[in-house]
Amino acid sequence: MFTPNDQMRLARAYVPFQIFSQRLNPMEGLMKGTIFPELYFPYRRHHK
Amino acid sequence: MDREQLCMLKELMALEFTVLEFHLYLDTHPTDQRALMEYNSFVQQLKVLKQKYQERYGPLSWQEPSSYPWQWIEEPWPWEICYE
Amino acid sequence: MWFYEKKLQYPAKVGRANVKMAKYLITQYGGPDGELAASLRYLTQRYHMPTPQAKGILTDIGTEELAHLEIIATLVYKLMDRASIEEIKQADLGGYYADHDKAVYYVNGSGVPWTAAYIQSKGDPVADLHEDMAAEEKARATYEWLINLSDDPDLNDTLKFLREREIVHFQRFGETLQIVQEHLDAKKYY
Ligand SMILES: [Fe+2]
Repeated sequence: MFTPNDQMRLARAYVPFQIFSQRLNPMEGLMKGTIFPELYFPYRRHHK
Repeated sequence: MDREQLCMLKELMALEFTVLEFHLYLDTHPTDQRALMEYNSFVQQLKVLKQKYQERYGPLSWQEPSSYPWQWIEEPWPWEICYE
Repeated sequence: MWFYEKKLQYPAKVGRANVKMAKYLITQYGGPDGELAASLRYLTQRYHMPTPQAKGILTDIGTEELAHLEIIATLVYKLMDRASIEEIKQADLGGYYADHDKAVYYVNGSGVPWTAAYIQSKGDPVADLHEDMAAEEKARATYEWLINLSDDPDLNDTLKFLREREIVHFQRFGETLQIVQEHLDAKKYY
């Protein structure tokens, strides 16, 4: 589980900041929908 | 649309998309100097390619020169293109 | 102000005409979690944002959503193109056809027209940014359900692109929320 640090308050939502380090090449980025590998979360289709 | 034009159009989409991604990133990270450098360099590359494309195939946006007759309305429009 | 760029953001393909898929997909055009709702929501919320980052991100994502709206219209147009009356009847789109022929109109998957009641502009930037983050998650989920409904790899390729954009937008709104919350805290306590 996620433990809050001193700067965090209850009853508030937090999204960590992205820190840019690498990028994909433009065509690969376009095909994937993002140029940032750390933001790429492809969908694995499941049949229900 | 012939192969060559389609290929160049996709290159253009890819560069423009890269610029957009850095643009959104910079909105929330205005002091990230490395991202800003990348942004500026891709803006430059995009300008060059867009210029080249428009010289060959006509204007993609407003405020671009046109040969005669008025090229803006030339088909195909974006939704009519077969992107295969 | 805005200028039109005479190109799509993504090379949107469909493998074959498919009226049923058009009927499902049109919810991302005029449905509650669709691209029109997203764009209009962000573009109208930006006037009450307290920081320059928030004004920028709502303007820019609101604009990108218009590009997505155009992609959805293109897909619907291509899926419906050349469909026969028989196919339209089979897909249960006769009601739509009676009102619009095969024209692209702002409705959800059940034919209900778009309404501004889908969106809110609360005037409270924290509440609005939470709505925006939720909107991105709902749009992401919608794209996943649409991918489940479709067996067309070309169509799914574009749907996957649009789904990934929702994840990036969520991240940017999340970062904006932190910036706005810190800004409001600083105003309160110092
Ligand atoms: Fe979005």
